[in-house]
Amino acid sequence: MTMTTEPQTIWQQIEYSGLGTFLAEDPLAFPMIESLHVIALVTVFGAIMIMDLRMLGFASNASAISRISRETVRLTWVAFVLAAITGSLLFISKASSYMINPYFLVKMGLIVIAGLNMGWFHLITQRGQDQWDTAADIPTSVKVAGALSLTLWLMVIVFGRAIGFTLSFYY
Amino acid sequence: MIGDLLFQFAEWLRSTFLNDLAFWLETTALSQWIVTNFWAIPAIQVFHISALAALFGSALMINLKVLGIGGSGASYADTAKRFVPWMNWGFVVLLISGLGLIVGEPIRELPNPIFWVKMILIVITLPISLLFNARVARVEASGALTGSYKFGAALLIVLWCSIMFGGRWIAYAPV
Repeated sequence: MTMTTEPQTIWQQIEYSGLGTFLAEDPLAFPMIESLHVIALVTVFGAIMIMDLRMLGFASNASAISRISRETVRLTWVAFVLAAITGSLLFISKASSYMINPYFLVKMGLIVIAGLNMGWFHLITQRGQDQWDTAADIPTSVKVAGALSLTLWLMVIVFGRAIGFTLSFYY
Repeated sequence: MIGDLLFQFAEWLRSTFLNDLAFWLETTALSQWIVTNFWAIPAIQVFHISALAALFGSALMINLKVLGIGGSGASYADTAKRFVPWMNWGFVVLLISGLGLIVGEPIRELPNPIFWVKMILIVITLPISLLFNARVARVEASGALTGSYKFGAALLIVLWCSIMFGGRWIAYAPV
């Protein structure tokens, strides 16, 4: 068996670092961080779902869209930061495996697209908010943003779960 | 210490009918179908996680509001009316998808000590959550509540989180 101990790529350097080795070898670290990651991502998706369902006119219709946005945005960000920190730690423990795992790469791409969709909504679409904030007739642009967000974040969960089941294929 | 305790619990579980039940479940057609379809378990887990998001997100909207650190600005009665049905339906989906996960991997779940720790936590949490939500639904005000309400809200957040910890730790049980 040939085993290279010298890191070949930056991802192996990260993985073989003190932190990476600790996270991979400690019996409690990985499951603990993973559990926090689950709590964080469930909170992100739960909070985003509340906003998306309002944008689609499916729930919370008694409140203005801007109000639901205000009520969910802080929780979303706090949970997203926790998910990103815990996710980065999980990544460090197996960096080179994750970097060749297509499900991981697609998941990262989906998060970027979901972020762009959210940014577009807040910076562009919400400029005309006064016209439709409480209207029964929600503009298509708002509904599309909500549907896209719901679909993208669901796909993030799908691909996230797929990573865990394919780790042994991409090693 | 906790590891030893869980290991003994696992030994005991293996000596009960749950062991036979797990092996029998594995022979059922549904279990066989799940086992032979690689994407079945992760797909059921996606339902489980999404339902959890609906339940926990809704629980946070109610409980953070009670604690006065976020949530909806509406009255408690309206907040409960908006979010409690999502918690209830979320729980139904969690239960069904959870049963699917048990049937698909009975030996991973039924003789697993952490699985039973999680189940006990659910049995404790569920009535507290139902009673708490019913109490909150009767409050017509919208400001932060005091005393026992705040304690209940904090306790429920801790309990739901411990259930999620349990769920993830099923995979790492000392069996």
